[in-house]
Amino acid sequence: MSTIEEKLWDYIDGNCTPQEAEAIKMLIETDEVYHKKYNELQVLNSTIDGMEEDEPSMAFTYNVMECIRAEEARVPLKARVDSRIIWGISLFFILTIAVLLVYALSSIKLSAPGKLTDYTKVPVSQLNGLFTGPIGKGFLFFDMVMGLFVMDKVLRRRGMSKG
Amino acid sequence: MQSKLSDIELIQDTLNGDQSAYAALVKRHQRLVFTLAMRFVKNREDAEEVAQDCFVKAYRSLSSFQQQSKFSTWLYTIVYTTAMTLLRKKRVDTSSIDDESTYMQIENKTYGMDEHSAEGRSRSFYLNKAIDELMPDDATVITLFYKGEQSLEEISKVMGIEPNTVKVKLFRARQRLKQNLERSLGNEVNELI
Repeated sequence: MSTIEEKLWDYIDGNCTPQEAEAIKMLIETDEVYHKKYNELQVLNSTIDGMEEDEPSMAFTYNVMECIRAEEARVPLKARVDSRIIWGISLFFILTIAVLLVYALSSIKLSAPGKLTDYTKVPVSQLNGLFTGPIGKGFLFFDMVMGLFVMDKVLRRRGMSKG
Repeated sequence: MQSKLSDIELIQDTLNGDQSAYAALVKRHQRLVFTLAMRFVKNREDAEEVAQDCFVKAYRSLSSFQQQSKFSTWLYTIVYTTAMTLLRKKRVDTSSIDDESTYMQIENKTYGMDEHSAEGRSRSFYLNKAIDELMPDDATVITLFYKGEQSLEEISKVMGIEPNTVKVKLFRARQRLKQNLERSLGNEVNELI
């Protein structure tokens, strides 16, 4: 059960249903207690509404923009590389590894009858061509770059946490 | 020209690399952000630092603003979180934040003028003083509701609480504000308001 004051604040704030609002309006008109309290709350409401906001210093906007400019200038070029590019490259290599793995596994004949699989006969030699050719070299080169990138990131974080 | 653009248009311009558009956004919202910061830190230097920090944070995260709420609601959420974090960092323990008496004792610290001068006795002076004596949460609810033009639902998003809780807090804050005014002014309160 809400108090008179709660009901009146709901009415003043417009948080009532139309039926409730109508009922409260009637009470304000007919009931002296409601009428007096309503006037009191209305005055307080308009007083609070008239409060003034605090004003920051004149240079506030300038200081904020200077801070943003200074921060942007400090960001190294490496950090400006879109992280989606890095994720794209990672995804490419993960997919490549997954495809190679699936290809290698599907080449194994597991259904040979009467004896265990002879792993020496798994035709992985077909893959050798891939790793010795330019694709393989490129693959290893990018792996190395990615490895260095990750190592650099880890070392920087360590340096920052120590600093 | 930029002052006529909406917040969303200014955000788009900012994301397209126009920093002056963000400066216009800062100008538009700086007073309320600063006022909110003052509700927590109670001195101008710290409040200005908090407000500045909030605008820089907002700039950094602008691309993640989903436009599912008003920009002001999103910005005030940053202000509220930043100010609360600052309070915790300053090792003001949470019990003292909830302790009404702590804030009621803060008197005349931010007011350099004589209370009995004509200027000091103005409605605005006493109202600001009474608001300053409120707990930060109560003062924030009042400020967001009356000056930030935020609905109960929007305030609930800013403060991370239920809209019904905001309604109760607003009701309580108004009562406390009235009590504070009565304490400062005695019988003159009716004359003032």
